[in-house]
Amino acid sequence: MMQSPPKPIALRAKTGIPVLDERLQGGFPRPSTLLLFSEKPTEKRLFGENFAIQGAKAGETCLYVDFFRAPQLARGELKRFGSIDPAKLVLVDATSSQLLLPSHEKYHIDDIDNLANIREAIIAAMTAERPGRIVVDSMEFLMDRFPKEDVLRLWRELIEAARAAGTVSCFLFINWTLMERELDEIRAMSDFVVEFQSSLRGGIVRNSMRISQMESNGIRTNWIPYTFKDLVGLTVYFPRILVTGPFNAGKSTVVKALAEKSISIDRMGTTVAFDYGNVNITGIEAEIFGTPGQERFEFIFKIFAREVSGVLLVVDASHPDELARARQMLDLVGPRIPYVILANKSDLPGAIPPEEIAHRMKLPDDVPVVPTVATENKGVRDALLMLAEMIIGVR
Amino acid sequence: MLGDAARRLQGILTELRRLPAVLGATIARRDGILIAHALPKTMDPKKIAAMAAAIVGTSEMAVVEMGLGSFNSSIVDTQIGKMIATGAGEEAILVTMVRNEANMGLLLLSVDKAVQSIAEILKAAEVPA
Repeated sequence: MMQSPPKPIALRAKTGIPVLDERLQGGFPRPSTLLLFSEKPTEKRLFGENFAIQGAKAGETCLYVDFFRAPQLARGELKRFGSIDPAKLVLVDATSSQLLLPSHEKYHIDDIDNLANIREAIIAAMTAERPGRIVVDSMEFLMDRFPKEDVLRLWRELIEAARAAGTVSCFLFINWTLMERELDEIRAMSDFVVEFQSSLRGGIVRNSMRISQMESNGIRTNWIPYTFKDLVGLTVYFPRILVTGPFNAGKSTVVKALAEKSISIDRMGTTVAFDYGNVNITGIEAEIFGTPGQERFEFIFKIFAREVSGVLLVVDASHPDELARARQMLDLVGPRIPYVILANKSDLPGAIPPEEIAHRMKLPDDVPVVPTVATENKGVRDALLMLAEMIIGVR
Repeated sequence: MLGDAARRLQGILTELRRLPAVLGATIARRDGILIAHALPKTMDPKKIAAMAAAIVGTSEMAVVEMGLGSFNSSIVDTQIGKMIATGAGEEAILVTMVRNEANMGLLLLSVDKAVQSIAEILKAAEVPA
């Protein structure tokens, strides 16, 4: 009987975040080299871990070189990303020897003070396992301990070996000491640079990342806010998407259509405070806030119009006389915030077409106008996805 | 350092929850985003943060409109107890939920103390992007 051949691994290495994978034409190409970079400690390890686990979930073998954590600890922490076939995650143990303990891993670095030994152990694992993805956590561990020329040489050799094996390699790196010139050299060794940033404002931590392809005219995203979700992994996260528009355009219905468990504070059919809903689409989570439309509640609008990631501006396509007010509400949010127009009630008689709305509102060409019927949940989700793509800069 | 501020805020909430008759407490930003909470599982902290911001926002506006000086707190009185939403510095609000048998005098003193600590912690913890 013929043995069925092993499942071939996908040509591209998916990140597990559909909006990003789409922009990357299915994921990172094989082979390619990723630099996960930050100037300060951030949560970039999340990206590396997520990338490895997404690979394992897709049936690829992933090699994780961990200089900081004992293998048992690393395995335990990686469980947060959901369950995988444990055989698909191969760890290179670099800590047992530091603690003078015997290693129970197949691959281990026995002499942490010897770059040649480190190199051999990693390359031996690569050659034997032919992994689909490799994560090295992290290069700053080596930069702290060895002369930088030696580390750079090792780095190049690892990249070369990974390329030969046809895998995607990820190198985590925080820059403490290198000059801009050397950083440029490291960037030039990579195909993609993923930068990470953390900030704290008003007691809330915000993480964001930006992906740039080094090749000229390559992909370059905006800063993408992200969060971690248990058992799911890395998720694009918009802390606030504002749903606004003139009175009776259907804002509350849009929020309801987007989020199953939404709340609306309304009296006598009109929103007096706000609507709120939490939306989860694969790889994206967003908090949706709907504002009142009537002018007398504008002060409420101002409470919620802070730290807005993007705006869904709902207009009633069958009431074109309200478009001027819609324009005015857009200006209330402020400039440079991405927005999508929802031409709602597009099924009603007298509804004007999207082009006409764009024309009457004097919108720039790149602003999408999406015909929607919020009561039937038509077009609403597409509009949100378009907005998401605009915010993260992949549209 | 990021984690340190979060821990201290959580500590303040835990302390409040330990007081007799307190049902729960949460810290939200004035624009309705959740900062930290110690609420029973039946409540959705994100929704409560948004609602509290709306209550404080509208109350503040009403106070200004009525010429009643600056806003301190809103107290919502219900069948079961009270909800107290207090401004905590420029950025935040503290929401405390208590049952009717609570000793309001003592409780408000604790809330005042908590609010001051929250304002200080948040001020010290700013780390711009």
